[in-house]
Order: sequence, then C-alpha cells, then structure tokens
Amino acid sequence: MKYVAELKAKIREKLPELDVVIGWKQGFDPVHASPAFMTTPEEIEQLVVNPLCVQNLATYLPGLKGKKVGIVARECDTRSIGELLQESLIEREELTVFSVKCPGAVDLVKLRQQVGDLGRVRSISFDGPRVTVETPDESSSLDLGELLPGKCRVMAYDEPVLADFRFVDPDQDTVCREEADTDLVALEQMDLDERFAYWRGHLDRCIRCYACRNVCPMCVCQDQCIADTRDPHWLSAETDVRQKWMFQLIHAMHLAGRCTECGECERACPMDIPILTIRRKLNREIHELFGYTSGMDVDAVPPLLTFQPEEKSITEREW
Amino acid sequence: MVMGDLKFCPKEGLSRWVEELSREHTVLVPQQAGDAVEFLPFAEGSELSLDRQPTAPPKKSVFPQTETLMRFEYQKDPEHPDRQTLQIKETLPGKEKTVILGCRPCGARGFSVFDPVFGQGEYLDPYYQARREHTVFVSLACRHPENTCFCNWVGGGPADSAGSDVLMLPAGGGYVLRPVTDQGRQIVEVGGFEDASPEQQTEADRLAEEAAENLSPAPELEEVPDKLFELFENLDFWELMAAKCISCGACTYLCPTCYCFNISDEYSGLQGKRIRTWDNCMSNLFTHEASGHNPRPTKAQRLRNRVGHKFSYYPKLHEQVFACCGCGRCIKSCPMSVDIREIVLSAKEYADE
Amino acid sequence: MNNPYLPEIAIVKEIIQETHNIKTFRLVFKDPDKMEQCVFEPGQVGQLSVFGTGESTFVINSPPTQKEYLQFSVMRAGEVTTKLHSLKVGDQIGVRAPLGNCFPYEAMKGKDIIIVGGGIGMAPLRTLLLYLLDNRQDYGEIKVIYGARSPEDLCFTYEFEQWRQKGADLVLTVDKEFPGWTERVGFVPAVLAEEAPAPMNRVAITCGPPIMIKFVLKGLKELDFADEQIITTLEKRMKCGIGLCGRCNIGTKYVCVDGPVFTQAELNELPAEL
Repeated sequence: MKYVAELKAKIREKLPELDVVIGWKQGFDPVHASPAFMTTPEEIEQLVVNPLCVQNLATYLPGLKGKKVGIVARECDTRSIGELLQESLIEREELTVFSVKCPGAVDLVKLRQQVGDLGRVRSISFDGPRVTVETPDESSSLDLGELLPGKCRVMAYDEPVLADFRFVDPDQDTVCREEADTDLVALEQMDLDERFAYWRGHLDRCIRCYACRNVCPMCVCQDQCIADTRDPHWLSAETDVRQKWMFQLIHAMHLAGRCTECGECERACPMDIPILTIRRKLNREIHELFGYTSGMDVDAVPPLLTFQPEEKSITEREW
Repeated sequence: MVMGDLKFCPKEGLSRWVEELSREHTVLVPQQAGDAVEFLPFAEGSELSLDRQPTAPPKKSVFPQTETLMRFEYQKDPEHPDRQTLQIKETLPGKEKTVILGCRPCGARGFSVFDPVFGQGEYLDPYYQARREHTVFVSLACRHPENTCFCNWVGGGPADSAGSDVLMLPAGGGYVLRPVTDQGRQIVEVGGFEDASPEQQTEADRLAEEAAENLSPAPELEEVPDKLFELFENLDFWELMAAKCISCGACTYLCPTCYCFNISDEYSGLQGKRIRTWDNCMSNLFTHEASGHNPRPTKAQRLRNRVGHKFSYYPKLHEQVFACCGCGRCIKSCPMSVDIREIVLSAKEYADE
Repeated sequence: MNNPYLPEIAIVKEIIQETHNIKTFRLVFKDPDKMEQCVFEPGQVGQLSVFGTGESTFVINSPPTQKEYLQFSVMRAGEVTTKLHSLKVGDQIGVRAPLGNCFPYEAMKGKDIIIVGGGIGMAPLRTLLLYLLDNRQDYGEIKVIYGARSPEDLCFTYEFEQWRQKGADLVLTVDKEFPGWTERVGFVPAVLAEEAPAPMNRVAITCGPPIMIKFVLKGLKELDFADEQIITTLEKRMKCGIGLCGRCNIGTKYVCVDGPVFTQAELNELPAEL
C-alpha cells in the first residue's frame, strides 16, 4: 500500500507518547504475517500492510489495559474496538487508532485449496486484484476476490467506526462486499438431522485447544471460562463431540449481539472448523429482534447488556 | 540391511495393502476431513491423503486425548444406609494391534520423546506402554519439506527411521518399503510385494537426499539448554517472545512430543470414571493452586516453561535429546504465527551478546 | 504390571477437627496386608482420592514408627479438600502412598535441630518431629517454633504436652495478644530472631505460608545458617504424583518425585519459580 510510508512516519511521530504500537510484520514464511509489537523506530520499519495481514489486533487490547497503546486497524477491526469500548473493556484515552483502508484479505484455507500446501509457497505478490503465487512446481495467478474470507463477503465497511488517523490510497476501493450469507442460508435450509450431522462431522475433529476462544476479542472471561472450571462442572474434560458442541454453543450465546464477526475464531481454528457461522446466526437473531449491529456505534448500549420493560419486537404474551 | 528386505509397493497397490492390513488391525490413515487432514480408521472406500502433512500428528493413537484410567462405583451398605463402599476397576487398553500408515517420520519420532518418560523411568505408565507395544508405524518419507519443517535441527530428517517400523520411500511411481523393525517386516510381508529393484532403491535414496538438501541448514544448538537456563530470570526477554501469544493450546495439542496431561473424575450418580486428558501448559489453570497461588501466572512465564521444557529441561534429563521433532505444526497452526525456531535462536543469540 | 495410578481403598478411622478449616484424617487400608506393607519415610506424601471429585497431595504426617494408621491434615481450600472435609468416619476413599522423597533424617543424626512451622505448615513437620522424638537419643537439641494467627488456628494442640515430655523445646506463638494466651506473641520470623539458634552443627527445617517462609529464610541467613543447613518442603499443583504429567516442575526437578523436600542449596540451583 502506498500509504505505508506515511503510516510509519505517523507512528514514529506518536511513539514517544505510547507504550507500544501493535501492527503487522512479515511472519515466518511468504504467506504468513505476524502481529508486531513496536516500541522502537527499527521495529516500525518492519511494519507491513497487505492482504496477508489477517489478524484482528484488537484482541490484544483488553490485555494491555492501563498502557498507552497504538493500534493499526482495518475498518472491520475498528468494529471490535468499538464493541470493546461500548462494554468498557478498554479506555478510549489509552488508545490511538491508526486506521488503514483495508487492502483485502487472504483466507489461507482458500489459498491452500488453490495452490496446495502453503508450506511450499516461495513467494506471493499482490497487484490490485491479482495475486501471484510461486511454488517450486508452478506459478499461479489468482483473483483476490476469490480468496477473501467469508466475513469479507457479507458485510462491507467503507469507513472505520473510530479513528485518530486515517490512511487511504487515492485510488483505493473497498474490497469487502455485502452479499447474501450463503453459508448460513445453506445451513438454515438443512433439516435438523442434517444440520446436526453437519456439526457432528466438523466438531469431531475439534481438539479443544480453545484457539477460537483465546483469539476472540470479545471473549473476556479469560481464566474463569466455564469450559475450564469444575465448579460449576458444566463441561467434562472428555473429548467427545457433546462437550465440544456444548462449548461452541455457550461461546456463541455469550457472544450474541456482542460478536463483531471478525472471523478470528474460524481463522484461528487449527482444524479448520467453520465455527463463525454459529456466531453469525446468533447475530442475525439479535439483529431481527433489536435492529442492532454490534460495535458500529461506540455510544450505543448492546441490547443484551440492558433491558426494556417492554421490548418492541418481543411479544412473549402475544400482547 | 538384509538383501531382499526392501520391497516395492506400486502406487496402485497401496490401498490393497491397507485393505489387507485392515482385516486384522485397525489401520489409521491420513484422510481429508473438511479442510483438514486427519488420521482416521481405514474403511472400504477411504481415500488416503498423502500429499499434505496431516493437520494433527498420530499422537492420539498411542496417547489418546481422553484415556479412561479406571472406573469407580460407590455402593450403599444395606447394614448402614448412610455408609457407602467403594469399588475401583482398572481399565487398561485392549491388545488389538493398530497400524498407523502414512504418518511422516517426525510424527513417529515424536514417541521417542514419550518413551523415556512413560516407559523407562521409576514409574511405568501401563496405558501408554500397552498402546505403544501394539502400534506399528509405517512412515512416509517426505519429498518436499515445508517452510515450517525443521526436523534436521533436532536430529531427524525427511527419511528418518527413529520411531518408525517401516519407512515408505517414494520412488518409481510407488514406494520402496524399508522395514526398520521385526514388527515392520511382518507388516510388509502381508502385502506380498516384489523385491525393490536396484534402480528403485537408488531412486528412493536420491529423492530422500534431495529432500534433505531442500531443508534449510540446521544451526548449532548444543549450547541452547544452558542458555535457556541462563535466560530464565530475564522476564523482559520472555515477555517480548510471548507478546503475540494468545495462550491457546493449538501448539501443544498438535505437537507430537507434548505429553503433559490432566487427571479428572467424571461421574453421574454413584458411578464414574477417572480420566486422563491432554493438558495445555499455556493455560493459566495448568499450575493454578487451590490456595490461589500460581507459579506461572503470565503467558511469558508459561511460554518460558514450554520452550524450556523442550529445549532445556528435557535434554538435560534425557541425554541431550530435544523434546521436539521439528514437524513445524506449532508454527503453522499458531493463529498468531509464533515461531519456536525464532525463540530458540533468539535465546541462543541473546546469551551470546 | 503395577499400575501407579491405581489407589488403594482406605477407610476413615478417625477425624480430628484441628481448627475452623483444618481437619486431620486417620486412614487405614481396607486390605490389612496393605497396611502391613505400607512402609514410608518422614516427609513423603500421599495422594488422597475422593472419587467423583479428584485427587490431591498431602504429606503423611504420622511418623513411620506408627503403624496403625496413616494420618493426613487437610486445610479446606479447593474442590477436593472441601469434599474431604465432608467425610465421615467409616467412609471410603482412595490413597496412593508413599510418593516423593523424605527429610534427610539420617544425615541429621547427631545434630541440633530447629523446626520452624506456621499454620498448616506444621503438618509435614509433625511427621519429622515425631520421628526425631521416637529416636531422641540420635539427635541433639530439638527446638520447635510453631506459630499461627490465633490460638484457634494452631493444630495438634492436644499433643503439645507430649512433644515437650518427649524432649522437644516447643516455642508457641500467635500473631497478637489473645485473652488467656500465655505463650509467645509475634510473627514466627520475629520469634526465630529472639530465639537466635546458633547455626553450629544445626539443621533448620521450615514449612508454612510463602510469606512466612520468605522471612524465615532471611532470618536464618542473618543467623549465619548456610543454605545446606536449611531444609523446606514444597507444595505445587500436582496431578499424577509420579513425575509424568508435567506441571509441578521447577526447571528440571519435579516436586512430586524429586521433592517435596529440598535444601535451600538445592533450590538455589533451580530457576526461581516457586
């Protein structure tokens, strides 16, 4: 992105007032970027912004409460920051948001489906919507639109929810788009048995590593998680599908109307289980009931964090 | 190597062999499951997925994520209704043989880290030993190391035979089968294969060598155990290393050498079982004491123990062997791209300064 | 093959309410032969199982010389200890014992002894004390400093007279004045400083809450005790108790098999991760 030089300059300028700035840098191989915790000018030099920068860095913010933190955030990431502010899990005064126009994102699972094992990729480059990937065997030219994670296809963000500084290239278009949520629709069209079989099949390979939970910016119970406690003993330590499914449902319920659909749970899953759909479904329900979308308005009160004596869309007694 | 020991399995003969083996054994083979590749029992029509390193190693075959250690039951004493008697029943695994076919050499090598702990110390683990004894590993030598592969750092290699019973070496549109143990020889015999030709053998060796050359060179790690020990109290270093870690268990649970476990009771009514489950040293609760005290309350301290265990404590206790097989799963499966190679090298260089 | 995870069934023979949150359990194996075969050394631990809840580690605090029962003192803190506290005489539980190492009672022969305990920390020290008193002629002076917050928080009060009669110089202290309390007043480390045992040919053994240990160690240093003369017994979250499950390590040492007893000199060699 052309704005990266400008972004680095701004971070350099602000760094003396901040304890750390979180951004991305090149990871261990061509297709992986990695979160960068910048505290020195040299570290700022390593900052990158490209479609491989997939981590939602807002997930680190609650853990850094009490420090002055700068964060490089895409539009959708600012939605998570917004929700964290709404829930008073972070303080606005402690936060400096370097908002970048999203260059698009690569779903590494989709990339693997196209080019085979990612561990053999020698290089990847981006030129507008074209993605060129080299492996020892071949060179592939792919369309970034085809590699977008599901989350980038159902909600479009032109502007950030909040920003202290904004970086956009002059000719830059919004990559994400608002299309029908076909994954969710497909699931909704299944009958109960089919749907149950679908989840049984996928969750069978869950290893209970809780990457989905720990990477979630809104998951704040931390060490008090019901999945780990024995008092109350809601989940057993066994690894059968029942326990795994139960956890996913608890997680989804706990995120209803709070989840910002950043998709980190699904991206983090080492077993590639499509778990974001469950959270999306709950969010759709909340939207229907309350007309509310999480994280979009820093001053709004999430509907499940408050109550109305009479909810407009809930007619429990048919009145 | 005894002449005639090397056999050749043509590519199309592989599923027949697996089918044959599955008559008398449970055969676990890598299969596509969603977008992952998992070791699943072979059944008629199962398709082997051998092109990708399996998402999870075959660890659970010998060290299941949940192992029932014993069952217990309380019974009411008819003479004293307020009193209960207790019965405990040991539940050891059965003796059926399991064949793991198509794991990578690093996946089989992982158990060589388990063995000294579970099978050679003062206390022997009968559950592990029973499963280990009855599991045969047929490993597929790697042709194309990945960016995350570093088996050569820790004593392994693309055609390493440590921990395997048979090595399958790609060659001539099939596999040269090299038995490593007697158990392996018996497994190969089931296939009724022809001897491998000298040309096939030469090609197999050449491809194995090529694969080894494609790995990035291994750094000198001899001093790492001591250097990590020296760095123990440098919490700034560990905070830096752990900054992006989210304390999940992806690295641990996908690691072929991680063996830490939990023991807990599950019950309903008057009956229940005591189970052993994989545990994650990156979790705060791992060392959390009932009093509230925790010797490793931060992720930096936990990562220090995790890396320390693998590259310092374990080698100090077990003949300088690292508790790592270099499979790279902890790196590529980490949602935040934490790279254990980088930590080990940083530790080495940090102490050098 | 012997299964090291499998507990023996034991019957609760007697329960003593020591303080508001500490109970002492006297257990006998259901199988009388097991009672006969159970040989242990002072300082070794046992795993107590309340099936359905779990297992926890406690030091066997009866002396090896006493063969009728195994004794454990339990402070109510977590899930297992709470369940243990609900046991009644006659109830059955699981016991895996003995596990771990012991106090170096052989090496202590011919020496003067100073035992410093606080609160529930007196329990592991009791086994050693009783062993020393049963072999009184082998040891020099045996001084015990034992403190708790209040007189109600002292364990084993019913035995104090007996300890004294058998030759222990017992110094009792509580944190502040209490009506009717005639013994010492002050924190354990302060009493240690007042007593000022000379380090010459003496071994110090201490156990108690972490904050007490910290200041007792400091006090012993000030009295010129060498690290080799200071012994403590550690507590960690444990599961297997046999060195496999991987959580109780301090660097290369596993508290469950290499400990729980360590000299300060040994601890100095280990990473600081208590």
